[in-house]
Amino acid sequence: MQVRDIMTTAVLTIGPDATLESVCLLMHERNIRHLPVMEGGRLIGVITDRDVHGATSSLCVEPTPPRGVVRDAMAHPPKTAHPLDPVEDAARTMRALKIGCLPVVDGEALVGIITGIDLLDALLRLTGVDQPTGRLELHLVDRPGELARLTAFISGRQLNIHSILTYPVAGGQVSTVLRVATVETRPLADALRHAGFEVVWPPAKPWQR
Amino acid sequence: MAALIFSPEYGSYDFGAEHPFSPARVAMTLDLLTQLGHPPTWIEPEPATRDDLLTVHAAAYLDLVEALSEGKSVADAEAWGVGTPDTPVFPGMDLAGRRVVGGTLAAARMVAAGKATRVLQLGGGLHHAQPQRAAGFCVYNDLAVAIKHLTATGACVTYLDIDVHHGDGVQAVFNRDGRVQTISLHESGQYLFPGTGEIHELGEGDGRGLKVNVPLEPFTDGASYLEVFDQVVPRAVAEFGPQVLVVQAGADAHFDDPLADLALTTHDYERLYRRILDLADEQTGGKVIFTLGGGYSLHAASRVWAILYLVLNDLAVPRYIPAAWSQKWQQHLEGRPCATLHDPDAAQALVPQREEIARRNRVVASRLLEALSRYWV
Repeated sequence: MQVRDIMTTAVLTIGPDATLESVCLLMHERNIRHLPVMEGGRLIGVITDRDVHGATSSLCVEPTPPRGVVRDAMAHPPKTAHPLDPVEDAARTMRALKIGCLPVVDGEALVGIITGIDLLDALLRLTGVDQPTGRLELHLVDRPGELARLTAFISGRQLNIHSILTYPVAGGQVSTVLRVATVETRPLADALRHAGFEVVWPPAKPWQR
Repeated sequence: MAALIFSPEYGSYDFGAEHPFSPARVAMTLDLLTQLGHPPTWIEPEPATRDDLLTVHAAAYLDLVEALSEGKSVADAEAWGVGTPDTPVFPGMDLAGRRVVGGTLAAARMVAAGKATRVLQLGGGLHHAQPQRAAGFCVYNDLAVAIKHLTATGACVTYLDIDVHHGDGVQAVFNRDGRVQTISLHESGQYLFPGTGEIHELGEGDGRGLKVNVPLEPFTDGASYLEVFDQVVPRAVAEFGPQVLVVQAGADAHFDDPLADLALTTHDYERLYRRILDLADEQTGGKVIFTLGGGYSLHAASRVWAILYLVLNDLAVPRYIPAAWSQKWQQHLEGRPCATLHDPDAAQALVPQREEIARRNRVVASRLLEALSRYWV
């Protein structure tokens, strides 16, 4: 599962010179909390409803008047994701930085946005990555015993599986992503291939085919 | 000229014949240099003491390793990362680990005392070891202990990690330390152990903005690697202004490495070493310590490190390798004898999507620079 699979692609954006009043109205009207800030076709920041409230509240130490502009209240430089990033990495970034969204950029182009709500949708299919581990991705045939065969193989090598994520993909297969507590992910993948498993990552090296 | 630190006793840091972190890597390198007409002479270090280790590691962790080392059984060793398939227990592992740390520490002492400027420690580089946890073949963190010694003498240190895996242990030890900059170039943790080393890991507290991570796409080749190195490293080091450079020179970004997915050649390594020496000349008056690190293709690592030794000693890199060397080490060369020290040109890795990979690396590096520049005055 990658960021492009869960992101919102119809992204509403705002310019840096828009007033905070207009941002507040827009967020209320569209029921959203995060707006990427674009200038000259380039992502330069993110403004959240919390930024707006913090900047304009009379309780704030240095309140900005409602006619103040986005540029003065936004977070920048923006933290971003790439459409091909695994979802678990985007989630880890958001948790580590304690932020509620990641604009998704491909090169310079804004192609989507993911928020905490998108990640909650994915929660049952994902687990965290908080131990030194290597990543292994396989396609298993969707039938009883395949996952057991895989975990038995890994257990036979005395390796600890830290997390395991599975989800159905096309062709009657189950994509299975494991985080295994070993540096030797590649030899493990080769052994799995030799035993007849379809290993997606790590692949055979292009120059060794 | 570089002072060489080594001990035949380093060979006792050995997890067994089936384990990739093999002492044969260094034995092959030394023999290769000898057969090329440059028999190395070295300074033999003392093992590090328990007090040396306590500058980085927790006493309870040292107690655990000492007990396991003496053959005592400890109930929850695996929770400390010891006794796992990656970092198994072996008799005498405490002393073996301290010998490795002692070498890197000796290098730091020589540089701190002004007895040497350029030092090669032909071992060590155990960058995954944490204060209370072994990981990824690493029991004691020789790099962190050596850097602690350097900062205790008042020096600011830049740690540069070119191993293909993220230098997570060293980064963690100095995460809040304003006197130590860590820079790691590695295959992205999205794909490779240990899973960390993202660009947003910038350090905390006094260390904020001093932890620099360059995660690279799988199959990154030498051209893209060196481009990103030039984009980030000289600038970051110049902004910090260290007195000493400590380099973890793992050789596992080579295309032949069995555990990782980057695609550097021996030619790329030679260029990289020359860049690092230039950087040391410009920034630290030449003060630089190199250690070894990962490198699990014996075929590649022995040649890469022989080139490291030759470059550090301002010696020419010869073209051919005596046939006797390939014969002597044939059981480690998987039936692939080496005729030349550098990879033959035909071995240049061809990756179909190399332009796209280079583009993505470039974007990551510029995002990183944008984040770092907030901390540069």
